[in-house]
Amino acid sequence: MLFVARRVAVSLILLWVIATIVFLSLHLVPGDPAELLLSTGGAAPDAALVEELREQLGLNRPLWDQYVAFLQGLARLDLGRSLVDEFPVAREIATRLPRTLELILAGTLIAVVIGIPAGNYAARHQGGAFDRIAGWVAALLQAVPVFVLGTLLVLLFAQTLRLMPAGGYVPFAQDPVRHLVLLALPAVAIAKGIAAIVFRMTRASVLDQMARDHVRTARAKGLAPHLVQRRHVLRNAMIPVTTVLGLQIGSLLGGTVLVEYVFNWPGLSTPLLRAVEGRDYPMVVGIVLTVSALFLLINLIMDLLYAVLDPRIARS
Amino acid sequence: MRPLLLPGIGVGLILLLAMAAPLLPLADPVTQDTVNRLAARLPGSPLGRDEFGRDVLSRLIWGAQASLQVAFAASAIACLVGVTLGLLGGWLRGVAEFAAVRFADVLLCFPPILLALLVVTLLGPGTGTLIFVLSILYLPNFIRVTYAEVLSARNQDYVQAVRALGAPTPRLLGLTLLPNIAGPLLVQFSLAVASAVILESGLSFLGLGVVPPTPSWGLMIRGARATMDVAPTLLLWPCLALSLTILLMNLLCDALRDALDPRAAAVQPRLRAIDRLLPGLAPPPQPALLEVRGLSVEIATPKGMVRPVEDLSFTVRAGATLAIVGESGSGKSLTATAIMGLLPPAARAAGAAWFEGRELLSLPEEQRRKLRGGPMAMVFQDPMSSLNPVHRVGDQVAEAILAHRPEVGAAAARAEAVALLRRVGIADPDRGARAYPHELSGGMKQRVMIAMALANTPRLLIADEPTTALDVTVQAAILDLLAKLRAEAGMGLVLITHSLGVVAEVADEVVVMYAAQIVESGRVAEVFARPLHPYTRALLAAVPDGEHEPEGIPGVVPRPDSWPPGCRFAPRCTFATEACNQAPPALEPALGRAVRCLRWRDLPA
Repeated sequence: MLFVARRVAVSLILLWVIATIVFLSLHLVPGDPAELLLSTGGAAPDAALVEELREQLGLNRPLWDQYVAFLQGLARLDLGRSLVDEFPVAREIATRLPRTLELILAGTLIAVVIGIPAGNYAARHQGGAFDRIAGWVAALLQAVPVFVLGTLLVLLFAQTLRLMPAGGYVPFAQDPVRHLVLLALPAVAIAKGIAAIVFRMTRASVLDQMARDHVRTARAKGLAPHLVQRRHVLRNAMIPVTTVLGLQIGSLLGGTVLVEYVFNWPGLSTPLLRAVEGRDYPMVVGIVLTVSALFLLINLIMDLLYAVLDPRIARS
Repeated sequence: MRPLLLPGIGVGLILLLAMAAPLLPLADPVTQDTVNRLAARLPGSPLGRDEFGRDVLSRLIWGAQASLQVAFAASAIACLVGVTLGLLGGWLRGVAEFAAVRFADVLLCFPPILLALLVVTLLGPGTGTLIFVLSILYLPNFIRVTYAEVLSARNQDYVQAVRALGAPTPRLLGLTLLPNIAGPLLVQFSLAVASAVILESGLSFLGLGVVPPTPSWGLMIRGARATMDVAPTLLLWPCLALSLTILLMNLLCDALRDALDPRAAAVQPRLRAIDRLLPGLAPPPQPALLEVRGLSVEIATPKGMVRPVEDLSFTVRAGATLAIVGESGSGKSLTATAIMGLLPPAARAAGAAWFEGRELLSLPEEQRRKLRGGPMAMVFQDPMSSLNPVHRVGDQVAEAILAHRPEVGAAAARAEAVALLRRVGIADPDRGARAYPHELSGGMKQRVMIAMALANTPRLLIADEPTTALDVTVQAAILDLLAKLRAEAGMGLVLITHSLGVVAEVADEVVVMYAAQIVESGRVAEVFARPLHPYTRALLAAVPDGEHEPEGIPGVVPRPDSWPPGCRFAPRCTFATEACNQAPPALEPALGRAVRCLRWRDLPA
């Protein structure tokens, strides 16, 4: 329990540090923040507009006051209002976050279901045909950027074969089948990076475990080969796989932004990209903070999972 | 090592092409020509024109230049700043260390593309913003690598030496440390460039990176998406160029890492399968418990075949203890694993070994598995690594029971496991069964290993240096336990050890091994009373007996690939003559035992 409490505490501190950096980012940039946000090209922005934006963002108050107000807002889950349409940022995020989460979950699921058995099989038949081919496929998948794969999937399945829709979204409650069909391609695109990493790590870590003494002990017991593999090789091999997966989550979350854009999936990326283009600072900050918090949360879950997998961690 | 040449040439060509873009006879990449929009092929435009009628080939090559410029500039800045911060942090420690390392940690908490988008919001899109944000993103890696290397280097002798000579710190950092971290840094640099190309193209694809009309692969894919239905090849070219570049860069990164960062590289020599020798021997007339005849173990190494166990023969009778003695590297443990059928994949056993009349080496694996942990069991040398760290020890013992007697059932097997733990002397067996291996002492773990081996009342127990990894005080307790259990259960025991002191206490017969061969074997009492082989004598002299100072044996056991031509012990033997170096001696009968020495008759009694 102490371990869990400590990990949660560390995550909260990191979240606070991230919030502080995000808050400061506007003020660290040289020049007047309001002018900066309103400037397009080389033209100087209208003075009245600048003053209005200052008022709106509270930039006229002392920095410390702004910081305290920002943190108080965060504690109440109040992320301010959009500069463009005055819509509350938190409410916009609340409607869209579940869709992004669904995409991440579906992608991870596909990746794990493919990556772990493939890595295990490749390791058990090291140097065989499957091992070599799968190694090349993984290298190729890692080389194709996620938005390129997404675009090519659209080109192949929607444009050329006309098997799948090019993108879009239908709520699950409205039409479950259509919902899942629309989920399939973006989930596969998200899965590609994770699957390649999971495959490589599983393979390396199964090879490592197979040479361990405790596996020899398991064989010396006369344990059936499939049980040796499952309980004494794969079970232990999952520990480093979890760690590496946790380390990679950051870039995978970034991948969802691109995938959502390619497939018109109405998750967090649509308002984010619109906000970045429109210099809608509160909206960008809100989404960046949300995704960073999500990142920390996933890492926390990974760490706790890691402790469940490896009893040496939790008790030391 | 992975091939460095091919991806190196590939990446080099791409770089050269990108840099040579202004010199090549290419159409202007930004000139629009709406008449020829989406034209498939035109003179001077082998890949056609894009949605504004611009030349695709020209845009591909200029796009490479844009991407690579951003990637290299950002990586170079990140490298310079990161190395400086890492050096300062690692060298000055204190506040600088805290600031540099924590800064790196916090930066890694942001999903990269989101940090980039935040910065783009503030600064607006453009090449300058891209370089700025990418260099921030890759900073942590350089800080970490440098910091870790400085920490390990500052304790190394040469750095201490240069420091003691009074070299000023900046010079020291520059001249002694940097060359040593150049390899890992180059690896990080190549990783950063590859990753920056991906991020730059992603941001450009979103319309937030390179600003049009500057050509960029990401922008080209973005533009071609709209005309996907009429001109799909327009989409394929930049996708192909981008993926190929990243693939080559990734391969180069892997190869560089293997070549320059040896700690990260996993060298795995590929081993050939070896032919298995025919046993070619008739079974013995009266089945002993274990009858080993002409057992050899062969391992194929990159340098050729080695035989770390050679032509071993011995017999274990039911209820008796046979000790196999020798220094590390003499082949004792391989003998045991060969009998158990647990040799590593690269090794092959030849010869014959009968267990209760069944020849083990030719038995199908499935039948050998049923013998293992059942009628014949083994206890290993290192209890720390021989138990699975992620399962409770009670479950691991119960697993051995269920592997051979599934009808017992899980609950009864657990109860039996607790009883076994009590039998091997674990004080609180109920609690002990619920413990994980790391919660037990070494002696306790070895007791668990023994309980596991006893789970199905074996008739033969092979114990491979069961006390070597343990404290001296625990060693005697474990040996007493083995002797007691052997007497109780009437099982045969093969005890592998490097200590003759242990042999005298528990064994009936002894086999002395040196460099893969038996050099002497016989009844313990006789061997101890009058050792015939000089090696046995030397081993006996090395046992502390309280009266004489124990004598070590000079030198070490030769490796299996460099055995002396004559007697393998001759180079270390005080009695060796010229004849000993000429031809290998045979194992010959002597005074009711066997000895492998030309001069056993001449040795002083």
